[in-house]
Amino acid sequence: MITTPHHSALDERDRGGPAQSLLSVNGLIKHFPVKSSGFFGRGGVVRAVDGVSFDIRKGETLGVVGESGCGKSTTARLLMHLIKPDQGEIIFDGEMVGIDLPLAEYRRQVQMVFQDSYASLNPRLTIEDSITFGPRIHGMAETAARAKAHDLLARVGLDPSRFAGRYPHELSGGQRQRVNIARALALDPRLLILDEAVSALDKSVEAQVLNLLQDLKADFGLTYIFISHDLNVVRFMVDRVMVMYLGTIAELGDGEAVFAAPSHPYTAALLASMPKMDPSDRTMEAPLTGDPPNPINPPSGCRFHPRCKLAEPACQTIVPPLTASASGTSQAACLVLVPQSGHSHAARVAMPEAHA
Amino acid sequence: MSNLVSIEGLTVTFTGRGKPVRAVDHVSLEVKKGSVLVLLGESGSGKSVTLRSLLRLHPEKTSKVEGRIVVDGHDIMALSKTEIGTVRGRTVSMIFQEPMLALDPVYTLGQQICEAILRHEDVTPEQAHARALALFEKVQIPSPERRLNAYPHEMSGGMRQRAMIALALACRPKVLLADEPTTALDATVQIQILLLLRALQRELGLSIIFVTHDIGVAVEIADKIAVMYAGRIVETGSVADIMHSPRHPYTRGLLASRVERAQKGDRLKTIPGSPPDLTALPPGCAFAPRCDMATQACHQQVPPLVTGDYDNAVACIHA
Amino acid sequence: MSVLQLSTASVLQPIARSPGYWSGVVRRVSRDPVAMTALLVIVSLILMAVFASSIAPSDPFKSSMLRRLKPIGTPGFPLGADELGRDMLSRLIYGARLSLLMGLTPVPIAFVIGSALGITAGYTGGLTNTLIMRTIDVFYAFPSVLLAVALSGALGAGLTNALVSITLVFIPPIARVAESVTTQVRSLDYIDAARASGAHAWTIIRVHVLGNVLGPIFVYATGLVSVSMILASGLSFLGLGVRPPEPEWGLMLNTLRTAIYNQPLVAALPGAMIFITSIAFNVLADGLRSAMDVKS
Repeated sequence: MITTPHHSALDERDRGGPAQSLLSVNGLIKHFPVKSSGFFGRGGVVRAVDGVSFDIRKGETLGVVGESGCGKSTTARLLMHLIKPDQGEIIFDGEMVGIDLPLAEYRRQVQMVFQDSYASLNPRLTIEDSITFGPRIHGMAETAARAKAHDLLARVGLDPSRFAGRYPHELSGGQRQRVNIARALALDPRLLILDEAVSALDKSVEAQVLNLLQDLKADFGLTYIFISHDLNVVRFMVDRVMVMYLGTIAELGDGEAVFAAPSHPYTAALLASMPKMDPSDRTMEAPLTGDPPNPINPPSGCRFHPRCKLAEPACQTIVPPLTASASGTSQAACLVLVPQSGHSHAARVAMPEAHA
Repeated sequence: MSNLVSIEGLTVTFTGRGKPVRAVDHVSLEVKKGSVLVLLGESGSGKSVTLRSLLRLHPEKTSKVEGRIVVDGHDIMALSKTEIGTVRGRTVSMIFQEPMLALDPVYTLGQQICEAILRHEDVTPEQAHARALALFEKVQIPSPERRLNAYPHEMSGGMRQRAMIALALACRPKVLLADEPTTALDATVQIQILLLLRALQRELGLSIIFVTHDIGVAVEIADKIAVMYAGRIVETGSVADIMHSPRHPYTRGLLASRVERAQKGDRLKTIPGSPPDLTALPPGCAFAPRCDMATQACHQQVPPLVTGDYDNAVACIHA
Repeated sequence: MSVLQLSTASVLQPIARSPGYWSGVVRRVSRDPVAMTALLVIVSLILMAVFASSIAPSDPFKSSMLRRLKPIGTPGFPLGADELGRDMLSRLIYGARLSLLMGLTPVPIAFVIGSALGITAGYTGGLTNTLIMRTIDVFYAFPSVLLAVALSGALGAGLTNALVSITLVFIPPIARVAESVTTQVRSLDYIDAARASGAHAWTIIRVHVLGNVLGPIFVYATGLVSVSMILASGLSFLGLGVRPPEPEWGLMLNTLRTAIYNQPLVAALPGAMIFITSIAFNVLADGLRSAMDVKS
């Protein structure tokens, strides 16, 4: 286990101690208007993130998984304040972002690595200039910033004398992603958001970068939000995992527990959809049919009910709250977990006649 | 003859800008009727280039293709432009990673499929339409009659991929080439497409050559796997052989670095270094600079692909 | 963090530097024979304008009723004489001064103003974008020639007013190009990464946007020089720009048009100069475009 609570405890910026969440998100909502087709026509809204609340503990890695359109990337951009939330509050180490903690100060402590390693580097700047940009605008002297860039390059496995003066197009995808990680670390962040940061890399390079991320986390006492569509990578990297579906949280809990025994039928289906690594145990039936639905008009009740094998009439009307699972290691938004919810599998409490 | 596709000594060199790049180097492959071959490799391994050679899709001016490709009795390299036109779609057809680029945005899917059928076969438009409908049913598109009248942009990613498969199958080809068709899809949709391809292959007796970088996808679909590195095949074998007893150090490294086989928090065993630069390949084994078993001999000569006891082969002098 | 500060004191080691993007562009353009020929033509035209007084064989204003409309090759008049008996060669050489001035001045001015508007609109987006771009669309409703003529007419004839009106005509198209390339760049992750590091909008525009958008806008503007030449000539032709007897190619084309049946070749000479200059600028713009359009 690579968790480093002692590092964050040593951090002089730490306020509430290890027990206080590094980041708390409450009721985050972001709806995007859809361009209407007619001149006066009224477009709908994409409910990209629709009421999401969670905590990130100091020194942990929180995984965020889900299909495209589930809101995981929008959540990342909201956390980074690259887009403004419609509603909801973000509390960083006990301070309300934008009120107690100025945005500029918050952004020094939270950084992000994007999926597209090429698009995230300015093609006209050398690697060195890209990395020093952040420290320079925060007032670091040029020589100091360059020295720091060189140290970081060496730290992410790139020889500064060879790479500092190069341009992004001269590097391979894996090398560019290392540069992006170095750039994100240049501001000494405490929280690093990795948005599909290894998804575009070749598998042999992906493994190297995953190792690097684990080392950096230990060395710098970082906390990670690890967003990925690849559940195998998430299982390997994270302490806790958050499963998102159509802008809401389907399940949230301890990584190993969720992967071993998912409480939400959607989590189970996602896991079963991953390709098997054993040729004698191939998938025989697709766990889910159809494509991920459009977040413009999400279904009523439980948003997953049209694709759910356990769906019952109650699921169409009742929005399931996040409820602790039987084992207590995770919370899931499924009526099955809610006693007397009207679902026939519901905690074997009420309405035994529904079993017939 | 049981081999529907046979490739011998295929070498593709691109001569566009700057130094010539040998993207595929003496690749020989055979695909039996009704079987699925997966070309597995990372970016720059030459897997897609090999696939495209089967339809002669490389620009003639900036590429040099050598070797021999025979598909269902057609010597692909010797065909005239008109003849290759009849082979494309009719004998061999292809599906791509991004269906939006392969489908024509200004025609409905029904029009595109009917057009493909009418171009190759002497049938009435009504018959063509009936065939298109049957194809949409076969690729499991819900409410097929309505979807035939849809434009590509009106469909979701998975449906578009199904529509492209239907279009590829319009003229009952014997060989289907698939170039990472599931890479851009969500895992939940990817598995549906893989199962569909497996069902179609069984039902229609198709031979499929499937290119992917993802071992998991290969395991789900392959009968046989050919692992490519730097434009060469380094190992071939049945999917069980490759997964359970990989012999080439590169294949072994790839499998060892998989997160599926690691415990949380472990250090992954990685292959050091980065994929090779095709313009500056070492004289010997291309993998030697990254290989922990490499000896002096590895750096001197390209190791030949040696066939083993069963249907497997490996290009490593230490295997 | 402590880990980082350990080696901060160490001396910066020398690093291998790659040639920058612009030196690559210059290298590729210089290897393009067509673009280089065009550049040579443009440089010669500019030199001709600068040193007109020493190159021109005679006085461009000296007229003679006896030598009206002499054909090309007349002794003493290598390119003939115009309708007032002035030496065509000298007038064409002197004409380069005003014609190039009128062709070249509006473009850089419009480039600066149009880029500023377009980049602001593209980077800010939203209401600012709508305000700027819809205002510009109003100008777009008129054909450029008509707009130039109308503006010139409203401002009154004269060289300065002609320059002002041509500049105004070019601001909308440049702003539109600037807006579209900026909007594209704005959506790239490196801009988000810069915003995430807490940089102000102005810093981001200066460091990350300008370097990536000025190139394409510049290429577009280079192509406008030829249009500017033709518009300027057109205004002079209509009597809204340069006044006679000043030598200017457009104006010369106008005054010689009555001679089109007597001395067609002489009458066509100013047109030929305008044509050559426009083509040279267009070819150079094309060369720049292909030199800048490299994929990694």
